[in-house]
Amino acid sequence: MSDAIVCENLVKVYGDIIRAVDGVSLNVPEGEAFGLLGPNGAGKTTMVSILTTLVRPTSGRAIVDGLDVAKHPEEVRRRIGLAFQVSTADGELTGRENLEVAAGLQGIRAPEARRRIRELLDQMQLAPAADRLVKGYSGGMRRRLELAVGVVHSPKILFLDEPTLGLDPQGRAGFWDYIRHLRKDTGVTLFLTTHYLEEADQLCERLAIVDHGKIVATGRPDELKQRTGGDTVVVKPSKGEDLTPILSAVPGALAVQVIAGAYRVKCDRGEAMVPQIVTACDRAGVEIVSVEIRKPSLDEVFLELTGREYREEGTEHSGWASERMGQMRGGRP
Amino acid sequence: MLRELGALLRREWLRYIRTPVWIISSLLVPVLYLILFGQGFNYPGGPAQYLGAPNYISYFAAGMVGFVALTMSLFSGANVIFDKGLGIVKRQAATPAPRSVIFLSPLIFRSLIALVPAFLVLGLAVLLAHIPGFVGLTVTGSVGGLGGFEIVIAVLVLALMFNALFLAFGFALESPQSYFGIVNLLNLPILFTSNALYPPGVGPDWLHQIAEYNPVSLCVNVLRENLFGSSSYYPYIPEVYLLALLAWAAAFISLAVVLGRRALRTP
Repeated sequence: MSDAIVCENLVKVYGDIIRAVDGVSLNVPEGEAFGLLGPNGAGKTTMVSILTTLVRPTSGRAIVDGLDVAKHPEEVRRRIGLAFQVSTADGELTGRENLEVAAGLQGIRAPEARRRIRELLDQMQLAPAADRLVKGYSGGMRRRLELAVGVVHSPKILFLDEPTLGLDPQGRAGFWDYIRHLRKDTGVTLFLTTHYLEEADQLCERLAIVDHGKIVATGRPDELKQRTGGDTVVVKPSKGEDLTPILSAVPGALAVQVIAGAYRVKCDRGEAMVPQIVTACDRAGVEIVSVEIRKPSLDEVFLELTGREYREEGTEHSGWASERMGQMRGGRP
Repeated sequence: MLRELGALLRREWLRYIRTPVWIISSLLVPVLYLILFGQGFNYPGGPAQYLGAPNYISYFAAGMVGFVALTMSLFSGANVIFDKGLGIVKRQAATPAPRSVIFLSPLIFRSLIALVPAFLVLGLAVLLAHIPGFVGLTVTGSVGGLGGFEIVIAVLVLALMFNALFLAFGFALESPQSYFGIVNLLNLPILFTSNALYPPGVGPDWLHQIAEYNPVSLCVNVLRENLFGSSSYYPYIPEVYLLALLAWAAAFISLAVVLGRRALRTP
Protein backbone atom coordinates (compact mmCIF):
# COMPACT_ATOMS: atom_id res chain seq x y z
CA MET A 1 0.00 0.00 0.00
CA SER A 2 1.38 3.40 -0.92
CA ASP A 3 1.66 6.39 1.36
CA ALA A 4 -1.04 9.06 1.33
CA ILE A 5 1.16 11.50 3.21
CA VAL A 6 4.92 11.71 3.50
CA CYS A 7 6.85 14.40 5.36
CA GLU A 8 10.60 14.61 5.05
CA ASN A 9 12.40 16.73 7.57
CA LEU A 10 9.72 19.40 7.44
CA VAL A 11 10.60 22.77 8.98
CA LYS A 12 8.53 25.92 9.33
CA VAL A 13 10.12 28.97 10.89
CA TYR A 14 8.04 32.06 11.58
CA GLY A 15 9.81 35.39 11.75
CA ASP A 16 13.29 33.81 11.92
CA ILE A 17 12.68 32.81 15.54
CA ILE A 18 9.75 30.54 16.12
CA ARG A 19 10.40 27.03 14.87
CA ALA A 20 6.74 25.98 14.73
CA VAL A 21 7.63 22.76 12.93
CA ASP A 22 11.16 21.60 13.61
CA GLY A 23 12.28 18.72 11.42
CA VAL A 24 9.23 16.46 11.25
CA SER A 25 9.41 13.27 9.21
CA LEU A 26 6.45 10.93 9.07
CA ASN A 27 4.43 8.82 6.69
CA VAL A 28 0.77 7.89 6.64
CA PRO A 29 -0.23 4.86 4.52
CA GLU A 30 -3.40 5.14 2.44
CA GLY A 31 -6.54 4.48 4.43
CA GLU A 32 -4.89 4.91 7.81
CA ALA A 33 -6.20 7.09 10.60
CA PHE A 34 -3.20 9.00 11.85
CA GLY A 35 -3.12 11.45 14.71
CA LEU A 36 -0.82 14.24 15.79
CA LEU A 37 -1.11 14.55 19.54
CA GLY A 38 0.38 17.42 21.44
CA PRO A 39 -0.28 20.47 23.56
CA ASN A 40 -1.48 23.80 22.16
CA GLY A 41 1.37 25.51 20.40
CA ALA A 42 3.15 22.25 19.59
CA GLY A 43 2.99 23.00 15.87
CA LYS A 44 0.07 20.75 14.96
CA THR A 45 -1.96 23.37 13.11
CA THR A 46 1.13 24.49 11.22
CA MET A 47 1.67 20.88 10.13
CA VAL A 48 -1.90 20.67 8.85
CA SER A 49 -1.55 24.06 7.15
CA ILE A 50 1.56 22.90 5.30
CA LEU A 51 -0.05 19.63 4.21
CA THR A 52 -3.18 21.45 3.02
CA THR A 53 -1.16 24.01 0.96
CA LEU A 54 -2.08 26.95 3.20
CA VAL A 55 1.44 27.47 4.50
CA ARG A 56 4.69 26.95 2.65
CA PRO A 57 7.36 24.95 4.50
CA THR A 58 10.64 26.74 5.20
CA SER A 59 12.51 23.57 4.27
CA GLY A 60 11.89 19.88 3.82
CA ARG A 61 9.28 18.19 1.67
CA ALA A 62 5.63 17.30 2.11
CA ILE A 63 4.05 14.84 -0.30
CA VAL A 64 0.27 14.38 -0.35
CA ASP A 65 -1.16 11.65 -2.56
CA GLY A 66 2.15 11.51 -4.43
CA LEU A 67 2.28 15.26 -5.07
CA ASP A 68 4.67 17.80 -3.58
CA VAL A 69 2.45 20.36 -1.82
CA ALA A 70 4.81 23.23 -2.61
CA LYS A 71 4.97 22.41 -6.33
CA HIS A 72 1.43 21.27 -7.10
CA PRO A 73 -0.83 23.04 -4.62
CA GLU A 74 -3.86 23.07 -6.98
CA GLU A 75 -3.71 19.35 -7.59
CA VAL A 76 -3.30 18.69 -3.88
CA ARG A 77 -6.33 20.88 -3.08
CA ARG A 78 -8.47 18.72 -5.36
CA ARG A 79 -7.60 15.60 -3.41
CA ILE A 80 -7.91 16.78 0.16
CA GLY A 81 -10.70 17.74 2.49
CA LEU A 82 -10.24 19.92 5.52
CA ALA A 83 -12.11 20.74 8.70
CA PHE A 84 -10.65 23.71 10.51
CA GLN A 85 -10.19 24.09 14.23
CA VAL A 86 -12.64 26.99 14.33
CA SER A 87 -15.84 26.69 12.32
CA THR A 88 -15.51 28.48 8.98
CA ALA A 89 -19.17 28.22 8.05
CA ASP A 90 -20.95 31.42 7.10
CA GLY A 91 -23.40 32.25 9.88
CA GLU A 92 -25.67 34.27 7.60
CA LEU A 93 -26.21 31.28 5.33
CA THR A 94 -28.13 28.09 6.08
CA GLY A 95 -26.35 24.78 6.50
CA ARG A 96 -27.50 23.69 3.06
CA GLU A 97 -26.37 26.97 1.44
CA ASN A 98 -22.95 26.67 3.07
CA LEU A 99 -22.62 23.20 1.57
CA GLU A 100 -23.81 24.44 -1.82
CA VAL A 101 -21.17 27.17 -1.86
CA ALA A 102 -18.53 24.64 -0.80
CA ALA A 103 -19.60 22.24 -3.57
CA GLY A 104 -19.53 25.06 -6.12
CA LEU A 105 -16.00 26.01 -5.05
CA GLN A 106 -14.99 22.40 -5.68
CA GLY A 107 -16.46 22.70 -9.17
CA ILE A 108 -19.20 20.12 -8.55
CA ARG A 109 -22.20 20.44 -10.90
CA ALA A 110 -25.48 21.52 -9.30
CA PRO A 111 -27.57 18.31 -9.68
CA GLU A 112 -24.73 16.17 -8.35
CA ALA A 113 -24.09 18.67 -5.56
CA ARG A 114 -27.76 18.63 -4.50
CA ARG A 115 -27.77 14.83 -4.22
CA ARG A 116 -24.47 14.74 -2.34
CA ILE A 117 -25.58 17.50 0.05
CA ARG A 118 -28.84 15.68 0.88
CA GLU A 119 -26.82 12.57 1.64
CA LEU A 120 -24.35 14.45 3.82
CA LEU A 121 -27.06 16.32 5.74
CA ASP A 122 -28.67 12.96 6.56
CA GLN A 123 -25.39 11.35 7.55
CA MET A 124 -24.44 14.22 9.84
CA GLN A 125 -27.98 14.41 11.25
CA LEU A 126 -28.26 17.99 10.08
CA ALA A 127 -31.27 17.43 7.81
CA PRO A 128 -33.84 18.96 10.19
CA ALA A 129 -31.68 22.09 10.59
CA ALA A 130 -30.52 22.23 6.97
CA ASP A 131 -32.54 25.32 6.11
CA ARG A 132 -31.84 27.26 9.26
CA LEU A 133 -29.17 29.96 9.44
CA VAL A 134 -25.90 28.59 10.80
CA LYS A 135 -25.63 31.42 13.34
CA GLY A 136 -28.35 29.58 15.29
CA TYR A 137 -26.50 26.24 15.29
CA SER A 138 -25.07 24.65 18.44
CA GLY A 139 -21.36 23.99 18.75
CA GLY A 140 -21.83 20.32 17.88
CA MET A 141 -23.90 21.13 14.79
CA ARG A 142 -21.25 23.58 13.62
CA ARG A 143 -18.55 20.93 13.98
CA ARG A 144 -20.64 18.45 11.99
CA LEU A 145 -21.29 21.05 9.29
CA GLU A 146 -17.56 21.84 9.18
CA LEU A 147 -16.92 18.13 8.64
CA ALA A 148 -19.60 17.94 5.92
CA VAL A 149 -18.06 20.96 4.14
CA GLY A 150 -14.70 19.19 4.33
CA VAL A 151 -15.96 16.03 2.65
CA VAL A 152 -18.50 17.47 0.18
CA HIS A 153 -16.22 16.53 -2.74
CA SER A 154 -15.44 13.03 -1.36
CA PRO A 155 -11.73 13.71 -0.82
CA LYS A 156 -9.16 10.91 -0.68
CA ILE A 157 -7.47 12.41 2.33
CA LEU A 158 -9.23 14.23 5.13
CA PHE A 159 -7.50 16.62 7.51
CA LEU A 160 -9.17 17.42 10.81
CA ASP A 161 -7.58 20.11 12.95
CA GLU A 162 -8.77 19.72 16.54
CA PRO A 163 -12.16 18.52 15.31
CA THR A 164 -13.88 18.40 18.69
CA LEU A 165 -12.32 21.45 20.32
CA GLY A 166 -14.85 23.01 22.67
CA LEU A 167 -17.37 20.17 22.53
CA ASP A 168 -18.76 18.55 25.65
CA PRO A 169 -18.03 14.82 26.22
CA GLN A 170 -21.27 13.64 24.60
CA GLY A 171 -20.77 15.91 21.61
CA ARG A 172 -17.25 14.59 21.26
CA ALA A 173 -18.31 10.94 21.44
CA GLY A 174 -21.03 11.63 18.86
CA PHE A 175 -18.54 13.29 16.54
CA TRP A 176 -16.21 10.28 16.82
CA ASP A 177 -19.08 8.09 15.64
CA TYR A 178 -19.47 10.21 12.50
CA ILE A 179 -15.77 9.88 11.81
CA ARG A 180 -15.86 6.12 12.30
CA HIS A 181 -18.81 5.76 9.94
CA LEU A 182 -17.14 7.99 7.40
CA ARG A 183 -13.98 5.92 7.48
CA LYS A 184 -15.91 2.66 7.19
CA ASP A 185 -18.00 3.95 4.27
CA THR A 186 -15.31 5.70 2.27
CA GLY A 187 -11.94 4.33 3.38
CA VAL A 188 -10.69 7.93 3.50
CA THR A 189 -7.20 8.52 4.88
CA LEU A 190 -7.51 10.53 8.07
CA PHE A 191 -4.96 12.96 9.45
CA LEU A 192 -6.12 14.57 12.64
CA THR A 193 -4.60 16.76 15.29
CA THR A 194 -5.80 16.81 18.84
CA HIS A 195 -4.73 17.62 22.33
CA TYR A 196 -7.33 15.24 23.71
CA LEU A 197 -5.57 11.99 24.48
CA GLU A 198 -8.81 10.11 24.52
CA GLU A 199 -9.63 11.31 21.03
CA ALA A 200 -6.29 10.10 19.73
CA ASP A 201 -6.82 6.78 21.50
CA GLN A 202 -10.35 6.37 20.12
CA LEU A 203 -9.86 7.40 16.51
CA CYS A 204 -6.26 6.84 15.50
CA GLU A 205 -4.53 3.67 14.39
CA ARG A 206 -1.20 5.38 14.71
CA LEU A 207 -0.03 8.46 16.56
CA ALA A 208 2.83 10.86 16.64
CA ILE A 209 3.28 12.79 19.84
CA VAL A 210 4.57 16.27 19.10
CA ASP A 211 6.02 18.91 21.35
CA HIS A 212 7.75 22.17 20.40
CA GLY A 213 7.51 21.29 16.72
CA LYS A 214 9.25 17.93 17.06
CA ILE A 215 7.95 14.38 17.08
CA VAL A 216 8.85 12.82 20.41
CA ALA A 217 7.27 9.40 19.85
CA THR A 218 5.41 7.50 17.16
CA GLY A 219 3.43 4.28 17.36
CA ARG A 220 0.09 2.61 17.80
CA PRO A 221 -1.77 3.85 20.87
CA ASP A 222 -1.30 0.50 22.65
CA GLU A 223 2.41 0.44 21.81
CA LEU A 224 2.83 3.89 23.22
CA LYS A 225 0.95 2.93 26.34
CA GLN A 226 3.20 -0.06 26.87
CA ARG A 227 6.18 2.20 26.57
CA THR A 228 5.55 3.60 30.01
CA GLY A 229 6.31 0.06 31.27
CA GLY A 230 4.06 -0.57 34.22
CA ASP A 231 2.26 1.55 36.77
CA THR A 232 3.06 4.95 38.17
CA VAL A 233 2.38 5.98 41.74
CA VAL A 234 1.97 9.72 42.07
CA VAL A 235 2.83 11.15 45.48
CA LYS A 236 2.26 14.75 46.52
CA PRO A 237 4.00 16.05 49.67
CA SER A 238 2.14 18.64 51.74
CA LYS A 239 5.11 21.00 51.74
CA GLY A 240 7.85 21.32 49.16
CA GLU A 241 9.99 18.52 50.64
CA ASP A 242 12.36 16.64 48.35
CA LEU A 243 11.02 13.09 48.32
CA THR A 244 13.41 11.75 45.70
CA PRO A 245 15.87 10.04 48.12
CA ILE A 246 13.05 8.55 50.19
CA LEU A 247 11.07 7.25 47.22
CA SER A 248 14.11 5.93 45.33
CA ALA A 249 14.99 3.83 48.35
CA VAL A 250 11.60 2.08 48.40
CA PRO A 251 12.08 -1.52 47.16
CA GLY A 252 10.41 -1.96 43.75
CA ALA A 253 10.78 1.69 42.71
CA LEU A 254 12.21 1.66 39.18
CA ALA A 255 12.50 5.41 38.67
CA VAL A 256 11.38 8.63 40.28
CA GLN A 257 10.40 11.69 38.28
CA VAL A 258 9.10 15.07 39.44
CA ILE A 259 6.53 16.86 37.33
CA ALA A 260 4.77 19.99 38.56
CA GLY A 261 5.52 19.28 42.22
CA ALA A 262 4.25 15.69 42.10
CA TYR A 263 6.58 12.72 42.50
CA ARG A 264 6.03 9.90 40.02
CA VAL A 265 7.31 6.52 41.07
CA LYS A 266 7.60 3.91 38.33
CA CYS A 267 6.93 0.33 39.40
CA ASP A 268 5.51 -2.98 38.20
CA ARG A 269 2.45 -3.04 40.40
CA GLY A 270 1.20 0.16 41.97
CA GLU A 271 -1.05 -1.63 44.48
CA ALA A 272 1.96 -3.27 46.15
CA MET A 273 3.90 -0.01 46.24
CA VAL A 274 1.37 2.26 47.92
CA PRO A 275 1.69 0.82 51.48
CA GLN A 276 5.49 0.85 51.24
CA ILE A 277 5.57 4.44 50.03
CA VAL A 278 3.21 5.58 52.77
CA THR A 279 5.31 3.80 55.40
CA ALA A 280 8.57 5.24 54.04
CA CYS A 281 7.23 8.77 54.06
CA ASP A 282 5.78 8.29 57.51
CA ARG A 283 9.15 7.12 58.84
CA ALA A 284 10.91 10.08 57.30
CA GLY A 285 8.35 12.37 58.96
CA VAL A 286 7.01 13.71 55.65
CA GLU A 287 3.34 14.48 55.44
CA ILE A 288 1.74 13.58 52.11
CA VAL A 289 -1.45 15.00 50.62
CA SER A 290 -2.26 12.28 48.14
CA VAL A 291 -1.13 8.97 46.71
CA GLU A 292 -2.54 7.85 43.40
CA ILE A 293 -2.02 4.81 41.19
CA ARG A 294 -1.92 5.49 37.45
CA LYS A 295 -2.26 2.59 35.02
CA PRO A 296 -0.44 2.82 31.66
CA SER A 297 -2.33 5.25 29.46
CA LEU A 298 -1.63 7.87 26.86
CA ASP A 299 -1.84 10.47 29.61
CA GLU A 300 1.17 8.90 31.22
CA VAL A 301 3.10 8.56 27.98
CA PHE A 302 2.39 12.14 27.17
CA LEU A 303 3.47 13.43 30.53
CA GLU A 304 6.62 11.38 30.60
CA LEU A 305 7.67 12.34 27.10
CA THR A 306 6.94 16.00 27.39
CA GLY A 307 6.73 16.71 31.12
CA ARG A 308 10.40 17.23 31.68
CA GLU A 309 10.44 20.07 29.23
CA TYR A 310 7.54 21.84 30.84
CA ARG A 311 9.43 21.88 34.12
CA GLU A 312 12.68 22.98 32.56
CA GLU A 313 11.08 25.84 30.69
CA GLY A 314 9.56 27.51 33.67
CA THR A 315 6.24 28.44 35.14
CA GLU A 316 4.31 29.11 31.97
CA HIS A 317 4.59 25.54 30.86
CA SER A 318 4.11 23.90 34.23
CA GLY A 319 0.96 26.00 34.59
CA TRP A 320 -0.25 24.74 31.28
CA ALA A 321 0.61 21.15 32.20
CA SER A 322 -1.31 21.11 35.45
CA GLU A 323 -4.34 22.69 33.86
CA ARG A 324 -4.23 20.37 30.90
CA MET A 325 -3.79 17.27 33.00
CA GLY A 326 -6.83 18.27 34.99
CA GLN A 327 -8.83 18.43 31.80
CA MET A 328 -7.49 15.12 30.60
CA ARG A 329 -8.53 13.30 33.72
CA GLY A 330 -11.88 15.02 33.65
CA GLY A 331 -12.43 13.93 30.08
CA ARG A 332 -11.82 10.25 30.75
CA PRO A 333 -14.71 7.90 31.40
CA MET B 1 -14.20 28.66 -13.25
CA LEU B 2 -17.81 29.78 -13.90
CA ARG B 3 -19.20 27.28 -11.42
CA GLU B 4 -16.84 28.58 -8.71
CA LEU B 5 -17.65 32.19 -9.58
CA GLY B 6 -21.36 31.37 -9.52
CA ALA B 7 -21.04 29.82 -6.08
CA LEU B 8 -19.25 32.87 -4.68
CA LEU B 9 -21.59 35.39 -6.29
CA ARG B 10 -24.50 33.45 -4.84
CA ARG B 11 -22.88 33.63 -1.41
CA GLU B 12 -22.50 37.41 -1.78
CA TRP B 13 -26.14 37.67 -2.86
CA LEU B 14 -27.40 35.56 0.06
CA ARG B 15 -25.41 37.60 2.52
CA TYR B 16 -26.73 40.78 0.95
CA ILE B 17 -30.40 39.81 1.18
CA ARG B 18 -29.92 38.58 4.76
CA THR B 19 -29.00 42.10 5.90
CA PRO B 20 -32.20 44.05 5.28
CA VAL B 21 -31.07 46.91 7.50
CA TRP B 22 -28.10 47.53 5.23
CA ILE B 23 -30.23 47.22 2.10
CA ILE B 24 -32.85 49.65 3.36
CA SER B 25 -30.33 52.17 4.69
CA SER B 26 -28.24 52.02 1.52
CA LEU B 27 -31.37 52.85 -0.45
CA LEU B 28 -32.73 55.43 1.96
CA VAL B 29 -29.60 57.50 2.49
CA PRO B 30 -29.30 58.77 -1.10
CA VAL B 31 -33.05 59.29 -1.27
CA LEU B 32 -32.93 61.42 1.89
CA TYR B 33 -29.96 63.38 0.55
CA LEU B 34 -31.88 64.06 -2.61
CA ILE B 35 -34.95 65.21 -0.73
CA LEU B 36 -33.26 67.14 2.09
CA PHE B 37 -30.17 68.67 0.45
CA GLY B 38 -31.58 68.78 -3.02
CA GLN B 39 -34.71 70.61 -2.01
CA GLY B 40 -32.86 72.82 0.48
CA PHE B 41 -30.05 73.90 -1.83
CA ASN B 42 -32.29 74.78 -4.69
CA TYR B 43 -30.14 77.68 -5.90
CA PRO B 44 -31.50 79.94 -8.56
CA GLY B 45 -30.09 79.92 -12.05
CA GLY B 46 -30.40 78.14 -15.35
CA PRO B 47 -28.35 76.30 -17.99
CA ALA B 48 -25.78 79.09 -18.15
CA GLN B 49 -24.90 78.65 -14.48
CA TYR B 50 -25.03 74.84 -14.38
CA LEU B 51 -23.15 73.70 -17.48
CA GLY B 52 -26.33 73.15 -19.42
CA ALA B 53 -28.39 71.65 -16.66
CA PRO B 54 -31.76 73.43 -16.48
CA ASN B 55 -31.47 74.11 -12.72
CA TYR B 56 -29.32 73.29 -9.71
CA ILE B 57 -31.31 70.21 -8.62
CA SER B 58 -30.83 68.64 -12.06
CA TYR B 59 -27.10 69.35 -11.85
CA PHE B 60 -26.98 68.05 -8.26
CA ALA B 61 -29.04 64.87 -8.90
CA ALA B 62 -26.66 63.72 -11.63
CA GLY B 63 -23.84 64.28 -9.13
CA MET B 64 -25.70 62.24 -6.53
CA VAL B 65 -25.55 59.19 -8.79
CA GLY B 66 -21.76 59.30 -8.69
CA PHE B 67 -21.83 59.91 -4.96
CA VAL B 68 -24.03 56.83 -4.43
CA ALA B 69 -21.61 54.65 -6.43
CA LEU B 70 -18.88 55.87 -4.06
CA THR B 71 -20.79 55.28 -0.81
CA MET B 72 -21.97 51.84 -1.90
CA SER B 73 -18.34 50.74 -2.23
CA LEU B 74 -17.16 52.01 1.16
CA PHE B 75 -18.02 48.80 3.01
CA SER B 76 -16.88 46.21 0.51
CA GLY B 77 -13.43 45.90 2.06
CA ALA B 78 -14.87 45.51 5.55
CA ASN B 79 -16.57 42.27 4.53
CA VAL B 80 -13.25 40.91 3.34
CA ILE B 81 -11.65 41.77 6.68
CA PHE B 82 -14.44 39.97 8.53
CA ASP B 83 -14.17 36.99 6.17
CA LYS B 84 -10.44 36.83 6.83
CA GLY B 85 -11.03 36.95 10.58
CA LEU B 86 -13.64 34.20 10.44
CA GLY B 87 -11.38 31.88 8.44
CA ILE B 88 -13.71 32.01 5.44
CA VAL B 89 -10.94 33.28 3.16
CA LYS B 90 -8.68 30.44 4.36
CA ARG B 91 -11.48 27.96 3.71
CA GLN B 92 -11.81 29.29 0.16
CA ALA B 93 -8.03 29.27 -0.32
CA ALA B 94 -7.94 25.55 0.54
CA THR B 95 -10.23 24.73 -2.39
CA PRO B 96 -9.02 24.27 -5.96
CA ALA B 97 -11.03 27.33 -7.07
CA PRO B 98 -8.93 29.81 -9.10
CA ARG B 99 -7.52 32.54 -6.83
CA SER B 100 -8.77 35.29 -9.13
CA VAL B 101 -12.35 34.05 -8.75
CA ILE B 102 -12.03 34.21 -4.97
CA PHE B 103 -10.97 37.83 -4.79
CA LEU B 104 -12.87 39.13 -7.83
CA SER B 105 -16.29 37.82 -6.81
CA PRO B 106 -16.94 40.55 -4.20
CA LEU B 107 -15.75 43.17 -6.71
CA ILE B 108 -18.19 41.99 -9.36
CA PHE B 109 -21.12 41.56 -6.99
CA ARG B 110 -20.66 44.81 -5.12
CA SER B 111 -20.28 46.83 -8.30
CA LEU B 112 -23.43 45.37 -9.85
CA ILE B 113 -25.48 45.85 -6.70
CA ALA B 114 -24.35 49.51 -6.50
CA LEU B 115 -26.27 50.16 -9.71
CA VAL B 116 -29.57 49.62 -7.88
CA PRO B 117 -29.48 52.64 -5.52
CA ALA B 118 -27.59 54.73 -8.09
CA PHE B 119 -30.37 54.42 -10.65
CA LEU B 120 -33.04 54.55 -7.97
CA VAL B 121 -31.76 58.05 -7.17
CA LEU B 122 -31.76 59.02 -10.81
CA GLY B 123 -35.31 57.71 -11.30
CA LEU B 124 -36.55 59.39 -8.14
CA ALA B 125 -34.99 62.70 -9.15
CA VAL B 126 -36.81 62.54 -12.47
CA LEU B 127 -40.03 61.63 -10.67
CA LEU B 128 -39.70 64.52 -8.18
CA ALA B 129 -39.77 67.00 -11.06
CA HIS B 130 -43.34 65.92 -11.69
CA ILE B 131 -44.55 66.15 -8.08
CA PRO B 132 -45.97 69.54 -7.12
CA GLY B 133 -44.05 71.24 -4.32
CA PHE B 134 -40.80 69.39 -5.16
CA VAL B 135 -38.00 70.15 -7.52
CA GLY B 136 -36.38 67.38 -9.53
CA LEU B 137 -34.20 66.48 -12.48
CA THR B 138 -35.47 67.52 -15.87
CA VAL B 139 -33.93 65.66 -18.77
CA THR B 140 -33.38 68.30 -21.45
CA GLY B 141 -31.13 66.29 -23.74
CA SER B 142 -32.21 63.53 -26.08
CA VAL B 143 -30.73 60.49 -24.34
CA GLY B 144 -30.65 57.82 -27.01
CA GLY B 145 -29.67 54.20 -26.72
CA LEU B 146 -26.00 55.08 -26.87
CA GLY B 147 -26.36 57.84 -24.25
CA GLY B 148 -28.24 55.49 -21.90
CA PHE B 149 -25.61 52.82 -22.41
CA GLU B 150 -22.81 55.31 -21.68
CA ILE B 151 -24.56 56.38 -18.48
CA VAL B 152 -24.92 52.78 -17.21
CA ILE B 153 -21.32 51.95 -18.13
CA ALA B 154 -19.99 55.11 -16.50
CA VAL B 155 -21.73 54.33 -13.19
CA LEU B 156 -20.68 50.67 -13.35
CA VAL B 157 -17.05 51.57 -14.06
CA LEU B 158 -17.04 54.10 -11.22
CA ALA B 159 -18.47 51.46 -8.89
CA LEU B 160 -15.85 48.95 -10.05
CA MET B 161 -13.12 51.51 -9.46
CA PHE B 162 -14.14 52.40 -5.91
CA ASN B 163 -14.96 48.81 -4.99
CA ALA B 164 -11.52 47.78 -6.23
CA LEU B 165 -9.91 50.55 -4.18
CA PHE B 166 -11.71 49.68 -0.95
CA LEU B 167 -11.38 45.93 -1.52
CA ALA B 168 -7.64 46.49 -1.91
CA PHE B 169 -7.62 48.05 1.57
CA GLY B 170 -9.68 45.11 2.82
CA PHE B 171 -7.11 42.66 1.44
CA ALA B 172 -4.17 44.63 2.84
CA LEU B 173 -5.48 45.44 6.33
CA GLU B 174 -6.29 43.10 9.19
CA SER B 175 -8.37 45.21 11.55
CA PRO B 176 -11.79 46.72 10.84
CA GLN B 177 -10.76 49.78 12.89
CA SER B 178 -7.90 50.72 10.58
CA TYR B 179 -10.12 50.01 7.59
CA PHE B 180 -12.82 52.38 8.75
CA GLY B 181 -10.13 54.94 9.53
CA ILE B 182 -9.08 54.83 5.88
CA VAL B 183 -12.69 54.99 4.69
CA ASN B 184 -13.30 57.99 6.88
CA LEU B 185 -10.13 59.63 5.58
CA LEU B 186 -10.93 59.12 1.89
CA ASN B 187 -14.71 59.32 1.63
CA LEU B 188 -15.35 63.05 1.93
CA PRO B 189 -12.16 64.29 0.21
CA ILE B 190 -13.07 62.16 -2.81
CA LEU B 191 -16.56 63.62 -2.83
CA PHE B 192 -15.55 67.23 -2.18
CA THR B 193 -12.77 67.31 -4.75
CA SER B 194 -15.32 66.28 -7.38
CA ASN B 195 -17.81 68.45 -9.19
CA ALA B 196 -20.71 66.25 -8.02
CA LEU B 197 -22.20 68.87 -5.70
CA TYR B 198 -20.45 72.23 -6.34
CA PRO B 199 -22.01 74.44 -8.90
CA PRO B 200 -19.37 75.58 -11.41
CA GLY B 201 -17.81 78.94 -10.59
CA VAL B 202 -18.20 78.44 -6.86
CA GLY B 203 -15.03 77.82 -4.88
CA PRO B 204 -11.36 78.37 -5.67
CA ASP B 205 -9.75 77.58 -8.99
CA TRP B 206 -7.38 74.92 -7.69
CA LEU B 207 -10.40 72.91 -6.48
CA HIS B 208 -11.90 72.98 -9.95
CA GLN B 209 -8.62 71.86 -11.41
CA ILE B 210 -8.47 68.85 -9.10
CA ALA B 211 -12.14 68.16 -9.80
CA GLU B 212 -11.43 67.78 -13.50
CA TYR B 213 -9.44 64.62 -12.83
CA ASN B 214 -11.56 63.26 -10.01
CA PRO B 215 -13.16 59.97 -11.14
CA VAL B 216 -16.52 60.98 -9.64
CA SER B 217 -16.45 64.09 -11.85
CA LEU B 218 -15.55 62.03 -14.90
CA CYS B 219 -18.55 59.77 -14.32
CA VAL B 220 -20.87 62.67 -13.57
CA ASN B 221 -19.71 64.51 -16.71
CA VAL B 222 -20.82 61.53 -18.80
CA LEU B 223 -24.22 61.67 -17.11
CA ARG B 224 -24.66 65.46 -17.41
CA GLU B 225 -23.56 65.72 -21.01
CA ASN B 226 -26.01 63.01 -22.00
CA LEU B 227 -28.92 63.99 -19.75
CA PHE B 228 -28.82 67.67 -20.60
CA GLY B 229 -27.46 67.49 -24.13
CA SER B 230 -24.91 70.03 -22.99
CA SER B 231 -21.73 68.95 -24.79
CA SER B 232 -21.07 72.54 -25.79
CA TYR B 233 -20.38 73.40 -22.13
CA TYR B 234 -17.69 70.69 -21.78
CA PRO B 235 -14.25 70.59 -23.31
CA TYR B 236 -14.60 66.88 -24.22
CA ILE B 237 -17.28 64.50 -25.51
CA PRO B 238 -18.62 61.93 -23.00
CA GLU B 239 -16.57 59.11 -24.53
CA VAL B 240 -13.37 60.88 -23.54
CA TYR B 241 -14.50 61.09 -19.92
CA LEU B 242 -15.53 57.44 -20.08
CA LEU B 243 -12.06 56.44 -21.30
CA ALA B 244 -10.39 58.47 -18.55
CA LEU B 245 -12.66 56.78 -16.04
CA LEU B 246 -11.71 53.37 -17.45
CA ALA B 247 -8.05 54.26 -16.94
CA TRP B 248 -8.74 55.05 -13.28
CA ALA B 249 -10.66 51.78 -12.92
CA ALA B 250 -7.89 49.78 -14.58
CA ALA B 251 -5.36 51.22 -12.15
CA PHE B 252 -7.40 50.42 -9.05
CA ILE B 253 -8.49 46.98 -10.26
CA SER B 254 -4.82 46.19 -10.84
CA LEU B 255 -4.07 47.31 -7.30
CA ALA B 256 -6.88 45.08 -5.99
CA VAL B 257 -5.58 42.13 -8.00
CA VAL B 258 -2.06 42.57 -6.64
CA LEU B 259 -3.22 42.89 -3.03
CA GLY B 260 -5.87 40.17 -3.43
CA ARG B 261 -3.26 37.76 -4.74
CA ARG B 262 -0.99 38.68 -1.88
CA ALA B 263 -3.78 38.09 0.66
CA LEU B 264 -4.34 34.61 -0.78
CA ARG B 265 -0.68 33.81 -1.27
CA THR B 266 0.64 30.90 0.72
CA PRO B 267 2.76 32.35 3.54
